Formats: sequence, structure tokens, C-alpha cells
Amino acid sequence: MLSFVLIALASLFFTGVIIRTKSITAGRKGPGIMQPMKDVIRLMKKGSVYSRTTSIVFRLAPVVYFCTVAMAALLIPFGSSRGVISFNGDFIFFAYLLGLGKFFSIIAAMDTGSSFEGMGASREALYSLFAEPAFFIILGSLALLTGNTSFYDIFSALHLGSYITYALAVLAALVLAMIAMIENSRLPIDDPKTHLELTMVHEVMILDNSGFDLGLIIYSGYLKFAIYGAIIANLFMGGMLLPWALVVFVGTQFSFAVVIGLIESFMARFRMNHNAQFIFALSSVSFLIFLGVLLVLGKFI
Amino acid sequence: MTNILLILFIISLLYLSIANRLVTYIRVLALQGFILFGVTFLALEEINTLNLVLILLETVVFKAVAVPVFLSRLIKRNHITREAEPYLPNFVSLIITTVIVVVTVLLANSIKDTHVDKIFFIVALSSLFAGLYIIASRKKIITHVMGYLIIENGVFVLSLAVGTEMPMLVNLGVMLDIFASVLILGIFLNKIGDVFKDVNVDQLSNLKDY
Amino acid sequence: MTGLFLTGAYTIGGLLFVNRNKRINSLLLIAYEILLWGFTIFACFNYKHTELDYFAFDSLGILLLITLSIISIPALIHSHLYISRQGEKPQSRSIYFAAMVVLLTSISAAYLANHIAVVWIFAELTTLSASALIYHHRNKLALEGTWKYVFICAISISLVFVGILFLSLSLNQAGDKDLSFANLMAHSQELNPFWLRLAFLFIFTGFTAKIGLVPMYTAGIDAKDKAPGPAAAILSSVLMNMGFVAIFRTYAILAHTSLYHWANTIIFVAAILSIFVATVYMMKVMNIKRMFAYSSIEHMGIVMLGVAAGGIGFYAAILHVILHSFVKSSLFFQYNQVYRVFQDKNIYHSGTTSSITPPGLWFFFLDL
Repeated sequence: MLSFVLIALASLFFTGVIIRTKSITAGRKGPGIMQPMKDVIRLMKKGSVYSRTTSIVFRLAPVVYFCTVAMAALLIPFGSSRGVISFNGDFIFFAYLLGLGKFFSIIAAMDTGSSFEGMGASREALYSLFAEPAFFIILGSLALLTGNTSFYDIFSALHLGSYITYALAVLAALVLAMIAMIENSRLPIDDPKTHLELTMVHEVMILDNSGFDLGLIIYSGYLKFAIYGAIIANLFMGGMLLPWALVVFVGTQFSFAVVIGLIESFMARFRMNHNAQFIFALSSVSFLIFLGVLLVLGKFI
Repeated sequence: MTNILLILFIISLLYLSIANRLVTYIRVLALQGFILFGVTFLALEEINTLNLVLILLETVVFKAVAVPVFLSRLIKRNHITREAEPYLPNFVSLIITTVIVVVTVLLANSIKDTHVDKIFFIVALSSLFAGLYIIASRKKIITHVMGYLIIENGVFVLSLAVGTEMPMLVNLGVMLDIFASVLILGIFLNKIGDVFKDVNVDQLSNLKDY
Repeated sequence: MTGLFLTGAYTIGGLLFVNRNKRINSLLLIAYEILLWGFTIFACFNYKHTELDYFAFDSLGILLLITLSIISIPALIHSHLYISRQGEKPQSRSIYFAAMVVLLTSISAAYLANHIAVVWIFAELTTLSASALIYHHRNKLALEGTWKYVFICAISISLVFVGILFLSLSLNQAGDKDLSFANLMAHSQELNPFWLRLAFLFIFTGFTAKIGLVPMYTAGIDAKDKAPGPAAAILSSVLMNMGFVAIFRTYAILAHTSLYHWANTIIFVAAILSIFVATVYMMKVMNIKRMFAYSSIEHMGIVMLGVAAGGIGFYAAILHVILHSFVKSSLFFQYNQVYRVFQDKNIYHSGTTSSITPPGLWFFFLDL
């Protein structure tokens, strides 16, 4: 329960920190940290407009998306306390929950009958396809390293002792951060600020949503960020005591947000066909993490 | 610690397969030189000091500094364009390089000898085959030379695996490096740059079976 | 004596490189021939001795050394005639002769080497000197041929080095460190088969660039096409023998282990493929020199078939190696005369040799 509350709290501030960092590096003062949440609340007060070409899928999708993300947040542990849902093999359940949400948003985008949204949906599907092996290989390696298969058991048994386990954890954190940025459609994969449909990936999928639905979708995005930040924080939490674990959690979320803000300020989005090879490169690097884990375990001298 | 450096080496190989510009290739080669310096320092502590200093100097001075500087001067002098022109798209190169690493890992799994550190074997064979692939899949002559340098790096890593037992072999490998690289780079690439206008491999197909 | 021979020969090479005078050139070449023959005769009398720890006068080495000495005489004479007819600059002449001397010395040292790393060093030296020879004419095509030769040989030499490393790994298990052939043969039962397999694969693939078999034969084709006649004669006869010696000595180590049949299979496959490739290409080319080059590949394929067959095949293989060296080098020498008359390498254009140079034609037929 504690982790769910913390993730929900973090999601309120996450995007605000990103936007604030971008503004400060650009020399502006920037909006307040609670501004994105105020936007979401404003959207939720409005009514939705539905196009006549859409069907029940379009109305269902935002709700399903939000529910899957919220349920995925229930799975994440926090230091020495389990998540609300925790069983063996729950990281696979986690990945497929998020996949279900993404599937519904993709078919909702195609449901609108607009070719732009179909294009964005196909791109989104491609990037998730390439990012999936990376996620599974990393978590599989961690499971192999600790001999457990549930999030809570993996993270509590993860003792970072020697040089190489530290290096592997750092590398895994980097790859997970990249996966987070892919899943949430941030730079360098997708620019959330672009207003040209031809260059959008995720934004174009939600082009037709409005009002409460749009508010739900946007808030689910913030929640996903907080979830991935929590996973990365868990990598370093080990079996720490509660106050220290809190400090690590808040610190990780904050620095993750700042790093994303810095990356967005200083990099441009990759060329479209470079995106695919970048994401696949993450899968290759995660294979190397698997190799490193085999080395650590001595299954491979 | 050597394991971390060697995993970094493989990551640099993967990066090389998707790199677009020649400058990136040169930077990765310099990085590989520094990684090999670190690995040599950590792996070969038991042989006598003179040999060790010689090998260390060779990796740092030659691989990490001299060859990249020479390559960049060559590029400027022959007005070679920035792009590394591959025959296959970069995505396919990445997949092939990953497959090479996976196959090498599987091959290393079947070794039952416990004397040798398998990670050296994996890194050496991966760089060997990745270097051969880079030679075969790029149009420019200068990328052929860079592929050859990657093969040399792989051979050097393998010689480190047996280095503690037979330092003479490591010295021989070093000699191979310097000799062949100086010959290929120094003499012929300049001549080719002078004679051929466009340093593509397509220009080198005049000797046919006629 | 070996040390004396090597230092003397390389000094003569160095002197040839800096010398510009024609007379001194010829004198130095005669001195080199005397040195070479002296060394050969010394080797014949000191059969089965080992010198300097790294050079052993065994039967294969001495036979091929005699072949080299015999072929070197017409090679140098033809080179002299060729260079003086072309009217070359003294600088290119000095590079040519220096490279030729270095090449012949390195090959003879490689024949006699007892240690695989020494063979490797001298093979590297032959690459360097042969490339200087191929680049003699300094035009675009020669540059292309030289680049291809140098590049492929450099990769092959790296592969051979990887094979040597694997060989040392296989020797680790026997607890020994000496990589000389005699020592390896003595410990052949204790070598680790996995590493030995890999070592043989890499060494074989690497040296096929020198001997001209299937994986890396392409280096030699363009090289023999573009090198001047006498140099091409050396490249296609004696240099290929060096590759043969290296592969044969490594194969001999494997012949005493359990990998004998596997090694035979590998050599057999490579030999059959070489013969096939050479035959197909020979039917297509019209350039005489290229045809000779492919024919060298085919002959080497036949030789390796003999080696793979074993038993009396060894005797046949060595006989074929020696005879092929004589025939192929004389073909290349004679070709120069044909080219001098017709100024064209195309076989369809050079038809009426009998009316112009009858003796040349008779020699040609005798060779064939």
C-alpha cells in the first residue's frame, strides 16, 4: 500500500519538475510544479466530444488504459514492503498489463478512421515491440541473479556487492530509464511538443480525445513515469530501512525527472528510421547485461 | 573490473554497427584503445615490468592516440565525405552484430577448459567477426581499414588471454599491429587517395576476369 | 650459418635498395646468388641439424630450398633483362631488386623454420616484399592489385596469429610452453582437441592466402596478374610452396592425434572447391597471366588432395609441388617473351607465335 501511495504522490509532481527543468535551462522562470495537475483537473471538468465515426472501443479505451496503469502501480514494491499485488512471475503480468493498455489505445486510435492516427499507432506499436525484449531480458537477468521471480523478492534479494554487480545495476538502470522514455513517448524517441502530425508518435494517437478522457490519458502518462521511476529506485534500495528507502525513492524520482528535462532541453529527436535501431540497440545492450549476470553467477567462467 | 571493461568493449562494437559518420568510427577506435589499456593493466600484472611497460605504451600511444590522429588526417587530406556508406541499412547491421555476439557466447559455452577466461574468448571472437562484417558491408576503403583495426583489437584481446603464460606472443601481436597497420595505413591509403578520385571500393573493380 | 645467411642476405637487400649503379647492382646480385647456393649446400650437408633453436634442416625444407635456389637463378636473370629492356629509373630498379632479394630470403627462412611463430614472421615479411614487387609499374591497376594483395594477406596473417594463440592454449594443458614443431609433435597426444581444432581451422584459413586455396585465394590472382613477369614467377611457384610448408607442418602435428580424419576432411573440401573454382574461372578468362594464376590454384588443390589422401599421396604431393614450381616459373618467364612480341595478354590475339619466335614457341610447348 505504501508504494502505491508514494507512486501516486510522485506522479503529481513528476511532469512539473520536467517542465520546470526545461524552462530553467532555457532561461525562463517556467510554470509552477503543480501546473500539469491543474491542467488535468481542468480537463476533467469539461465534457467530451465524440466523433461520429468512432464506436464503443473509442469510449472504452481511455478508461481501460488508466485502469491497467493503475493496476500496474499496485504491483511495485517499496523497499521492504510488498506491493498490493505480489506473486511469483508478477513482472510478466506487469509488462502485459501495460501492453494491454497500449493495445487499447492503439485500437482506439485506429478506430477514429483518421490516417494520421493510424500512422502514429503503427509507430507506437513498432517501438513497443522492440523495447519489450529489453525489459524482459533485464528483469529476467535480475531474476536469474537473485533466484526469485516476483518484483518484491527480486529487489529485496539484490545485494550490490562487487564492482560488476554495481556496474550491471547502473547499466540496467540506464536501460530501464531509456525504456521509460520510450514507453512515455519522450525525447529522443518522440517529441511531445511537436505540432506536426507527421512527426508525432504518441500525441497523434490521442488527437481525437477530449475532456475527461484526455485528462485520464494524460494522468496515466504521469503515473507511468512514476512507476518506472519507482522500479529504478528499487534497484538501488535493496533491503534498506524505511527512512533511507524514502530518501532514495524521492531522490531517484527527482533526479530522473531532472535528467529527462535536461535531455529534452539539449537533444533533438532522432530521425524516424534511427529510432528503430536505437531501441533495438537497447535490447542488444540488455543481452550484454544478461551475459554479465551469467559471469557474476559463475555459470560461465 | 576487467569484465566491466570488456562488456564496455562489446557495447562499443554494437555502437559501431549503427554509427553513421566516420568521425564516430575514429572516436570508438580511440575508446577501444583506452579500454584495452585498462584491460592490459589489470590482466597482465604478473609478467615482468619491461614487457608490461612496452605493451602498455603500445596500446595507449598507438591504438588510442596515433592511429586515430592519423586516420583523421587521412580523411581530411583526401577529402573523404563524412558518411560511412553501408550496403545494408544500419538496423540490419545491428541485428547481425547482435547475432554474432550471441553465437560467440554459445560457442564459448561449449569450452570445457577452465584455464582460460571465457569473456576474453567471447570478446576476441566477436570483434574478429564484427570486424570482418564491417569490412564486407561498407563501401569506402577507409572503413575497410577501420574494420581491419577492429580485427587487430580482437586479436590483441585474445593474446591477453594467454599473455600471462607467454608474453612473447603478446609482443608478437603488438608487432603485427604496428607493422601491418603502418604499412596499410601509411603507405597505401595515401597512394590510393592520390590516384583514385573517389575512395570507394567500386573504384577498385577494374581488375576483372576478362 | 643461418644467422650469417640471414644477415648477409638482408644486408645485400639493403645495399641494393640504396644503390643506383648498374654494375654494383649486378655484382650484389651475383654475391647474393653465391650466398644462397652456399647456404643450400651447407644445409644439404647438415641434414637433420637444428640451428639457432628456430631453424631445422629437415628433408622437406632442404628439398624446397634446392628448388628455390634453382629457380632464383633464372628469376634474377630474367629480372635483369626485363628491367634493362624497360629502361626504368634507377630508383624503381633498386626497389625491385631489393624486394626480390628480401622475398627470396624470407621464403627460404620460412622453409627451414622450426617454430610456428617464426614461420609467421617470415610470412609477414614476404607479404611486404611481394607487395613492393607487385607495385612496380605504379599505375592504377598495379595499385589496385597491390592493395587487394596487401589487405587480404594482412587479414590472413591476423587469422594465422589467432590460430597460433589457440595452439598455445592447446599446449597449456600439456604444461609446456615451447611452440616449436618438434615439441608439438612430441606432445601431440596431450594437446587439447578443442583448441587444436580451432587452431588448425584458423591457421589453415590464414595460410590459404599464400598457398592459394579456396577461402583466401583471391589475393594471389590479381597479384600474379599485375606483377612483372619474373616476380609473378616467384610468387606463383616458391611463395605457394611456403604456404604449403606451413600448412603441411601444422597438419603433421594433427596427423598424430585423433583429429586426423577431421583435418583430412577439411583439406579435402578446400582442395575440391579450389579445383572447381579454378576450372570454372579458367574457362572464362582470356588473359594469359590470369589463366596461369588460376592454374596455380588448381595445381595446389591437387597437391592438397594428395596430402589429404595420405600414404603414397604424400610422396605424390611433394613431387607435384617441386615439378609445379619448375614448370610454372618457366611458363611465367617464357610468357614475358611472348608479351614482348605481341604487347597483349589476350590469348586470342597472340596466335602466330611460330612465325615470329620459333624457339620461344617450342619452349612453351615443352613446358606445357
